[in-house]
Amino acid sequence: MTSSGPAPELKTALIKAKPFLPPCHVIHHLLSTGVCIRCIFRLSGIHDRDCYTSPLDQSHFMFFLEEHNDNDIKSNFTTITYCSICLGVLCSVCCVQEKTGAAFKEITSVNDFVLFISDIIKREEYQIDGFSLEVSVPPVIVANDRALRLQSVESLSSPFHIRLTYSHSETSQKLQSLVLNCRDSKKRERGSGENGSSKKASNESDASIYRALDLIGDHDFCTRFLVPPGKVDKPCQLVVACHRTPIYIAGRYLKYSRNVSQSRWIIDDERMGEASVEELIGENVLQICRGDGYKFHSAGREDIDVRMLGSGRPFLVEVLNSRILPSYTEIEQIADNINNSDKKLVGVGNLKLVGAEAWNMMREGEAEKQKEYAALVWISRPLTDDDVSNLTSLKDLDVSQKTPIRVLHRRSPLERSKIIHWMKIENVEGTTQYFLLHLCTQAGTYIKEFVHGDLGRTHPSIGSILGCRAEILQLDVTDVKMDYFD
Amino acid sequence: MAENAEPSEETLNKPIQENKRTTEEEKRQDLSSLLLPNPKDLPQIPPTAVETNFSSYFVADFMKPGHDQYIYRHANGLCVIGLARAHLALTETGGVTVVDFNVGKSDRSELKVTGKRKRNALQFESNSALCKVSTNGNSYIVRCCVKGSLLEVNDRLIKQPDLLNSSADREGYVAIIMPKQGEWLKIKDSFLSYEEYVQLRGLS
Repeated sequence: MTSSGPAPELKTALIKAKPFLPPCHVIHHLLSTGVCIRCIFRLSGIHDRDCYTSPLDQSHFMFFLEEHNDNDIKSNFTTITYCSICLGVLCSVCCVQEKTGAAFKEITSVNDFVLFISDIIKREEYQIDGFSLEVSVPPVIVANDRALRLQSVESLSSPFHIRLTYSHSETSQKLQSLVLNCRDSKKRERGSGENGSSKKASNESDASIYRALDLIGDHDFCTRFLVPPGKVDKPCQLVVACHRTPIYIAGRYLKYSRNVSQSRWIIDDERMGEASVEELIGENVLQICRGDGYKFHSAGREDIDVRMLGSGRPFLVEVLNSRILPSYTEIEQIADNINNSDKKLVGVGNLKLVGAEAWNMMREGEAEKQKEYAALVWISRPLTDDDVSNLTSLKDLDVSQKTPIRVLHRRSPLERSKIIHWMKIENVEGTTQYFLLHLCTQAGTYIKEFVHGDLGRTHPSIGSILGCRAEILQLDVTDVKMDYFD
Repeated sequence: MAENAEPSEETLNKPIQENKRTTEEEKRQDLSSLLLPNPKDLPQIPPTAVETNFSSYFVADFMKPGHDQYIYRHANGLCVIGLARAHLALTETGGVTVVDFNVGKSDRSELKVTGKRKRNALQFESNSALCKVSTNGNSYIVRCCVKGSLLEVNDRLIKQPDLLNSSADREGYVAIIMPKQGEWLKIKDSFLSYEEYVQLRGLS
């Protein structure tokens, strides 16, 4: 190899291979983790022999990449000696035992490698007119390969999948019965499985057929399978299916109505409430994105008769097989459709396209998030200034709540300890026994029960603190803190 | 819960994006106006949590004269059992002094029901004993009234039996039962409504 660069055939081959290679930064990363150039070619699906026959120096490769790229990411990494994936097998580097039998010597070039092998043949004085090559590599290389592919799948594969499914019913049926027969007869031999009745599965999965084929030894295979395979008069049938991995649209929603449930709620064919937040938002998103379906996720939920006000509750709409990647304008359109509808039941804000990590961001720390509420409370006697200072002075109040009776039918009977961080009182002009209670609580606190006490199963409660009866007339959520959705 | 007055057109027609550009103060005011009710819309005395969330039924002279009990049935099927206003125990001077859940074959206050499926719950008949309520001179057995699983007893009554004297209809409830499938329909017609009970006992 000349110092002026790779050989001309190699250079041409490299230019042809260029489109297959991953982005520059990915190659840099792979090289820095110790992957050799040939393994990178393999991973990229480059099968041109010219790319592999001539030796390729790493610095020449980098030079070639920089020549053909706009971004010049300069990197400096120490030259690797042995590939972490193929362990030198593809780099013609290996250790061989010396003829003397004592030490190991390293072979570093293809020529030396070939010489080494021909020496062995000559030594034994074989008379040959040709040869076939069998290669056995340690299983760890297969594992390394898998690791490499899994690591690279994110950066190399696109979220848009085109699935080509070929099928050939006639021959597949024959193979299936053949393979199952073989597997079942083996089971009968070994004595395991049912005697006599062979499981007649009409549609064994491809995977199980591959597994069964693997278990059949070559000899057995030849006795059962037609070798060579017979002629066919019909080609395979092809089904093409396109599919995009889910996209996520994040935002915050507000619920202005006391008759809208959060998720679709239907009992005995009758819908509970006028509509649902899930459908009001999801349908609009689905329409613009033209997807097959959607899933609505939110950071917590509120009862049907509780409004969601203030900055709104964070939510994610997962769109399945979306036909488009919505642009800023299209997302604005979704927001407009929802916010400017006739019935102002629901509103959205901060709508944006996000990655799959958004799901974790929402779940993460959901239990730690604090929520703020405003409750309209009535007490059985007039409110006094002492009451107000009493309530506002309580900071980080510990409350013990037995599972509220209204959810006891579907939740575990437990006693949960929650914290009321602070409370503020706002008088309702024109009344003496009503007031607006603003409170900030730990996630998972049942507010209604904290006000009326749930027959004493939540304590302390507003009633027990003030020493009278307290009832809650309406509740609104005023803030759900979550930075990612701002 | 009372229906809130519709939020002002002004507030709603402003798209959310635009709201973000208004000052913090404006946002607070907007929120405030949405939250505050119109005092004219508020009832003098609002319905209680029990009235809003449960249907109340009554049974008079359950198995013995004067043993009046209530059954509050929630929309989800669960029933809260307790002593009705005219129960003999509540009319005696000195009222209730002791509540003992150790009746029948086991101490009802010892049960531990776990999980969503409510395992380990004792299955009761309508005449199964829940507890024994004692006054200065007498004692009365409180019974289940509805066939089903016992989910919970109000063990606060052990240390605070006076709850029955002060608020038998709320904090002084006795137990929570999950009726057996189909049981409720069979039995509900044998119970009295609040009006019927009041009339029967000549209460105000």
